[in-house]
Amino acid sequence: MERVQTETANPKVAEEWQPRIVGFLCYWCSYTGADGAGTARILYAPNVDIVKVMCSGRIDPELVTTAFARGADGVLVCGCHIGDCHYINGNHKTMARMPLLKRLLTDLGIEPERFRHEWVSAAEGQKFAQLVTEMTEQVRKLGPLNWPGIMHRRGVGHGQDLRPWGE
Amino acid sequence: MSEAMTRNEQVGGEEPRIGVFICHCGGNISDVVDVKRVAEEIGKLPNVAISTTHMFMCSDPGQGLIQEKIKECGLNRVIVAACSPSLHELTFRRTLNRAGLNPYLFEHTNVREQVSWVVDDKELATQKTTRLIRAAVGRTRHLVPLEKRHIPIHPATLVIGGGVAGLTAARDLARRGIEVTLIEHSDHLGGRMADLGHLFPTEDKAGDLLEPLIQEVLAAQKIRVYTHAKVEESTGAIGDFHLKIRLGGNGKPGEVVEAHVGVVILAIGLEEYAPREGEYGMGLYPQVITLLDLARELAKERPGQEFTLNGRPIRNVAFLHCVGSRQHPGVHKPGPQGKINDYCSRYCCTGILHSACELKKRYPHLNIYEFFEDIRAYGRGHEEYYTKASEEGVRFVRFDPLRPPCVEKDPRGESPLVVRSIDRLTENMEVEVPADLVVLGIGLQARDMSKLIDLYRCSVGVDRFLLEVHPKLRPVELAVSGVFLGGSAQGPMDITEATAAAAAAASKAAAMITQGEIEMDPFIAKVKEELCTGCRICLSVCPYDAISRDEEKGIAVISEKLCTGCGTCAASCPSNAIQQFGFNDAEVKSEVLALLGVPEREPVAA
Repeated sequence: MERVQTETANPKVAEEWQPRIVGFLCYWCSYTGADGAGTARILYAPNVDIVKVMCSGRIDPELVTTAFARGADGVLVCGCHIGDCHYINGNHKTMARMPLLKRLLTDLGIEPERFRHEWVSAAEGQKFAQLVTEMTEQVRKLGPLNWPGIMHRRGVGHGQDLRPWGE
Repeated sequence: MSEAMTRNEQVGGEEPRIGVFICHCGGNISDVVDVKRVAEEIGKLPNVAISTTHMFMCSDPGQGLIQEKIKECGLNRVIVAACSPSLHELTFRRTLNRAGLNPYLFEHTNVREQVSWVVDDKELATQKTTRLIRAAVGRTRHLVPLEKRHIPIHPATLVIGGGVAGLTAARDLARRGIEVTLIEHSDHLGGRMADLGHLFPTEDKAGDLLEPLIQEVLAAQKIRVYTHAKVEESTGAIGDFHLKIRLGGNGKPGEVVEAHVGVVILAIGLEEYAPREGEYGMGLYPQVITLLDLARELAKERPGQEFTLNGRPIRNVAFLHCVGSRQHPGVHKPGPQGKINDYCSRYCCTGILHSACELKKRYPHLNIYEFFEDIRAYGRGHEEYYTKASEEGVRFVRFDPLRPPCVEKDPRGESPLVVRSIDRLTENMEVEVPADLVVLGIGLQARDMSKLIDLYRCSVGVDRFLLEVHPKLRPVELAVSGVFLGGSAQGPMDITEATAAAAAAASKAAAMITQGEIEMDPFIAKVKEELCTGCRICLSVCPYDAISRDEEKGIAVISEKLCTGCGTCAASCPSNAIQQFGFNDAEVKSEVLALLGVPEREPVAA
């Protein structure tokens, strides 16, 4: 499989391709914020599928890499703002982990735009909706990821986790 | 995997038989999402025994359908795709319970707030709904039955704070026959209210309300009162707190008394905003005072006498609203903690209007001016003060929040001070009024609660006040079980609201104690002993100090009572030895894989 070259891609085709983005959201702030976008009927891109966790501190970097390895074109991680964590400081761990993870992912050939880490409070439905639409457009421009393919070409795709089960 | 897994009697190694129930929500969902098509697609997935829709799944017939299908199809797991789980997750857990199924073999998929209300393209909405339910099926395959935790409660309470809120909570608890230890850090009971005169909106005298309350508390056999007292140490958790309370007075540390309680109520109140030196002339001119200074002055009541300040008769009074409240970045300087108070302090509009009416009543000749940004007389009986003040001739000047008024010496020397502002009510005309007295309507802010925040692991908001779990679903409860918020430690309140919050906290505490034990959600973390290497990483990440190390076995141990189920330890364990119930690796990973459409062929290591 080859990566889609966005520069030459037919915009109509790009329009038809829908990026798959996995969103890991903490329950108390960000998930409630996303609910708020719904209650306010704010329309946004349907490409981020939400996986709920109690606290963003639960988001094991392995979950993020698993998502990329098994077909996600992007991953979004959202938690409570610093100082507003339902679990005092669970999000401090997120704050420490995610930038490191981002560097690692970049080293592994994943464009930085494909992995975002943002704070979204329970009141920030509007912000969440904008974030999702913006990220979807960024990922759409980059095209499908096909990480296992990249890793294979680099000669590092030997781990079981990097082979989609479908193959 | 754990006790919960081995307790798995109902599922007991059976193949998962999942029932998927998709709600139309009366059209809220089905107008956008082709629910019939989703149900068909989902019905093709392995382990899905039935996939169907209903107009209102939360209605009696909807829940009846779920119960009926659980029996008819021998379902051992259930998914409902409907509104947000914050609305009806509990409803459907109960439905499962009634049908004899463990309530935690349930997954709630949100396809209203996060699909039909935010996506207008029907095809894309239908696809997203299918993906989300597919993910839920992946997750649900791995669910295990969980049991609520039962924790016994020692029938005694500690109330921290002897202001009107703490007194109210203590009295209410004692009236229910519950033992109370009430501690107050200052030398007197009654707090800030003890300084006040007439109170809005009832016009009662503060003392007339406070005295009988204090007398009842002091006389109650069930209440032990300590003034000059502070919590020095608190160990244990819900149901079983052990405290050391340091007594002392005159700045000298005294003896330590111990208390054993099941529940703690924090009624520590808040503090007044202290205007900075020079803010609106504060500290520069003796004629500038705060609203609470004025309230204390008015409480003294000298009928018939002229209103004077330092012997000088007062003719013109200017009130300034929103001092230390609703501050704007760039306009107001941050306080000592580097933050501005951008919230509304709530009591001050009515407080100022009330004082203005009181002044007009006693000294009708006074000229009174109010400089305000907005008038927020929101409470019952509060608006009447605004109407009355307007009728009595109080003059209102509406300033621009980005250009607040300034207080200066009168350049002509006719009056001690002048207040200058633009008035948005008269198309930004410049206004200057003479003032013999300037009263700053100071806001309220969180006091330094760092010791208690540390002791009870309280969540703190960006406004520095304590956070309750949920303002509507679980008011006055802190995230840490067994600790309640009685009053204005959770935000600015007037006396009416603070006593209501205190009474609510007392009634929740009493309910807990009367039951003798509480049930808690089972989503806590647990260590798999055989995998734990004793590396201590989890000890360092736990926000609640709920993890200790069993030095004998060389492994980590998580306290069931202290764990609140954030899962941070599970994410940081390098040996995968920690699993969070309800969010274990198998459950979350399978959800992600199913979401991405990876067919499940091999079991995911848990």
